[in-house]
Amino acid sequence: MKRESLTSGALKRSRWIGAKAVIAASLAVSSIAIVGLGSASQAGASSKKFSIAFVVGAEADPFFQSMYVGAHAEAKKLGVTLIWQGDPVDYSPSTQIPVVQQVLAEKPSALVIAPTDTKALEPYVAQAIKKGIPVFNVDSGDANQKNITSWVTGNNVQGGTAAADALASALNYSTTCTSASPCTVAVGVSSITTSTDAARLKGFDAQLKAKYPNITALNPIVSQSQSSVAQQGFAQDISAHHLQGIFAIDGTDAEGAAAAITAAGSAGANIKVVGYDAYASNIASMQGGKIAAIISQQPTLEGKDIIKYAVQRLKQGNAKGIPHLLTLANIVLTPTTSQATLNKYVYTAS
Amino acid sequence: MSTSIDTLESVGPSALKRLQSIVGNQQFILLLVLVALVIFFGERNSLFFTSSEFSNLLIDFSGLALIAVAETYVIISGGIDLSVGSTQAISGVGGGFAMQSLMNHHMSETGVLLIGAVICAGIGLVVGAVNAVLITKANLVPFVATLVTLSAGAGMALVFSRGAPIGQNPEAVAWSATGIGPFTWLVIIVISITTILGITLHVSKYGRNNFAIGSNSFAARAAGINVKRHIASVYMLSGILAGLTGMFFYIRSGAGSPQVGASSNLVAIAAVVIGGASLTGGVGRITGTLLGAGILTIVTDGLIFINVQPTWNQVVVAAFIALAAVLQSIRPGLRS
Amino acid sequence: MSNELQPIIELRDISKSYGSVKALIDVSFKAYAGEVIGLVGDNGAGKSSLIKVISGVHAQDSGHLFVDGIERHWKSPHDSMEAGIETLYQDSGLAPDLTIGANIFLGRERRRRGLLGRLGFLDQRGMEREALTELEKVGISVPASKRTVSQLSGGQRQAVAIGRAVMWAKHVIILDEPTNHLGARQSQEVLKVIAAAREQGLCVLFISHTLPHVLEVSDRIIVLRLGRVVRDSPTAEYTVESLLGTITGLSEVTNN
Repeated sequence: MKRESLTSGALKRSRWIGAKAVIAASLAVSSIAIVGLGSASQAGASSKKFSIAFVVGAEADPFFQSMYVGAHAEAKKLGVTLIWQGDPVDYSPSTQIPVVQQVLAEKPSALVIAPTDTKALEPYVAQAIKKGIPVFNVDSGDANQKNITSWVTGNNVQGGTAAADALASALNYSTTCTSASPCTVAVGVSSITTSTDAARLKGFDAQLKAKYPNITALNPIVSQSQSSVAQQGFAQDISAHHLQGIFAIDGTDAEGAAAAITAAGSAGANIKVVGYDAYASNIASMQGGKIAAIISQQPTLEGKDIIKYAVQRLKQGNAKGIPHLLTLANIVLTPTTSQATLNKYVYTAS
Repeated sequence: MSTSIDTLESVGPSALKRLQSIVGNQQFILLLVLVALVIFFGERNSLFFTSSEFSNLLIDFSGLALIAVAETYVIISGGIDLSVGSTQAISGVGGGFAMQSLMNHHMSETGVLLIGAVICAGIGLVVGAVNAVLITKANLVPFVATLVTLSAGAGMALVFSRGAPIGQNPEAVAWSATGIGPFTWLVIIVISITTILGITLHVSKYGRNNFAIGSNSFAARAAGINVKRHIASVYMLSGILAGLTGMFFYIRSGAGSPQVGASSNLVAIAAVVIGGASLTGGVGRITGTLLGAGILTIVTDGLIFINVQPTWNQVVVAAFIALAAVLQSIRPGLRS
Repeated sequence: MSNELQPIIELRDISKSYGSVKALIDVSFKAYAGEVIGLVGDNGAGKSSLIKVISGVHAQDSGHLFVDGIERHWKSPHDSMEAGIETLYQDSGLAPDLTIGANIFLGRERRRRGLLGRLGFLDQRGMEREALTELEKVGISVPASKRTVSQLSGGQRQAVAIGRAVMWAKHVIILDEPTNHLGARQSQEVLKVIAAAREQGLCVLFISHTLPHVLEVSDRIIVLRLGRVVRDSPTAEYTVESLLGTITGLSEVTNN
């Protein structure tokens, strides 16, 4: 069990840090709208159909939007009703718990949840199990995995490792970075206390140490999920050091890195950026030559797989043949990746 | 004979007094701090004195300057505007949608940016007008009124954008780096607006009214000033400046990000407070605010520049705000 | 004093209620240029309501207000100022963070000459200078320079506030408790300024609880009780005791 992926959902938390606390209340209206949407789709279903409640954190995040695409398509294909729920912007147990209570009241056949806290959601998961509702985890996991039928998630340490490889390859490590003239790279994170970022950074640093000793990573810039803050920090690193590369640990940092090297003009022209998260904007930056590689999670696949396993469990009546933990690799996308593959991985909100 | 003695005697104390007033002047202290910071960072890494770094500092300062000026007007008038950060986000997102659509219709880049600036300012104006109505019609205290628009604006920016940056405009980012030497056009525009608003605050009737209302709104009303209308206009001005800052960040990053400016309201307020304005209104100077914004910019950037652990960055910024608070509290003593 | 034909200000049957509270009931009086009128009454007698109606802060429910023989309807305090009435409210006449000059010219700022003036630049130095000379004219000397009002003593502040009213009033100045919180010497300064205003031909409405001050400086005293004018007589006809009795209602002496 990889500890870091336990809270991989913290990715979402980091994206909403700034607005989190105050937004929740003001968005009551939009939450109601989305709740309404969920009920409507359920009402249209026949009573014989299985219904799967799917509760995420900050629902407006492109990551979850992308997960919805996979889950929705799979549910449609398998003929089950999807009850898609989640606070639109707030990644926190205080807003997620009421949502879980509400969907359980609708008596779904199964519950898929991306718990916003490893512990806080546990009693509600137990409650569901008691009612005979099997529970699944996606992205982040519940502390008590005994209760969980299956958990599909990404691997952030592996993603960090892949990022180090991608950056070394973009830098043409063996010829560019020597012990006589080592390479310097900047790192941008959203928050140093977010475990997702920490896991990716851990994988990245370990791989540098093991395989690329001639690459020096600067102290990370903390962007607080704001691309403008990341951009400001990267501009400083570009000015202060003879910078060869940037590892931007999530989507917003990648946006900031792309903008920083564009604005730096000739000083930024040769800086290789490896980013994270296949936002459409980042794919476009990569195609425009500003980003050398993007490490992508697979939210669409996570959504698809977990629905697949949930339906399998409901039809079989047991968990036979269903993996208890499925860790999906983070994928490296580069400018040479085919358009078809890019289309597959880009985080789409549709 | 006696007159010459008088003159001699009066020269001494007045020269001393002048020296005291300079040393006791908060702006002078701020200027010293700023110079000391520049020397400190330059000492650690001489690349700090390069034109490209100067250009970086100017751009980062400019991203803060407009909302700091806005906050100066608001705070001197006796209010506070918490919504300047989220207004950047909502106008950047709204402007981002509009500009993307214009680009899809093959409008020229200049046209796109000009119309985008108007739209961003317009969205800011709308937010400011909502603040104005909440404060002058619904009689909410500014803190609560602008907390409402802060929340609503940030939420709407996220919901409309679905959390993703809106637009793809690398041409704008490239343009953001052009200008005269280290002074990019963007910086020149911001400094021009800042200068005009700074002069307006300190020499015009509008600025005078602003001080009078913040100092004693009853006296201002008794003097025939339309206090409510003035207050409304201040929040609308603040909204416009926040909207333009949204446009500023759209140009810098080539997209309207819903997360932009999330904590910048507090940074702007910190700049104003460091600059010597009183949160109770009636007191403040644009030059002080700009020095405050300059110090915060140099500290934030300089610490990254010399590769300090990021945890220290926030601690140091916090220390500067604390220092300003101390300066504030001892100032009445300096005064008398 | 009252031999002039035209009263500078005249109230006829002014009434004003706040909800069920009748603050003013058929208040009528006339006041003439060069006259100091003491306006006295217990708390809640209607003094504040009366000056708010005269200065345009609130509109009366019924009755008529004439200034210089013309009936006026104020929409805001600004209207009454335009008509030559200056009001100095209790403890709140000045903006403490502004300079003396800025306070004197508040709401009436003057622009610089030439291009800068047309661009909206205020003539700050000119206003500071003129403020000091105008204050000196009514016997108020304050420290020069760009000091803010918050740096003045209580007495100096009050003097500046009254000086401001005297300087701008064309017809009437209304002073609400101008000697409140002041020491004996400072109060005398204020009373001197009131006398100076009378010399300049202004009508002064002087509201005060300090009866000796009212008796000392006024020409006529109007007593309000429970929203009505209960007595309006030349000051010479009052003693401290009779005035106190009229205010409290213990000695009923009605006008006319």
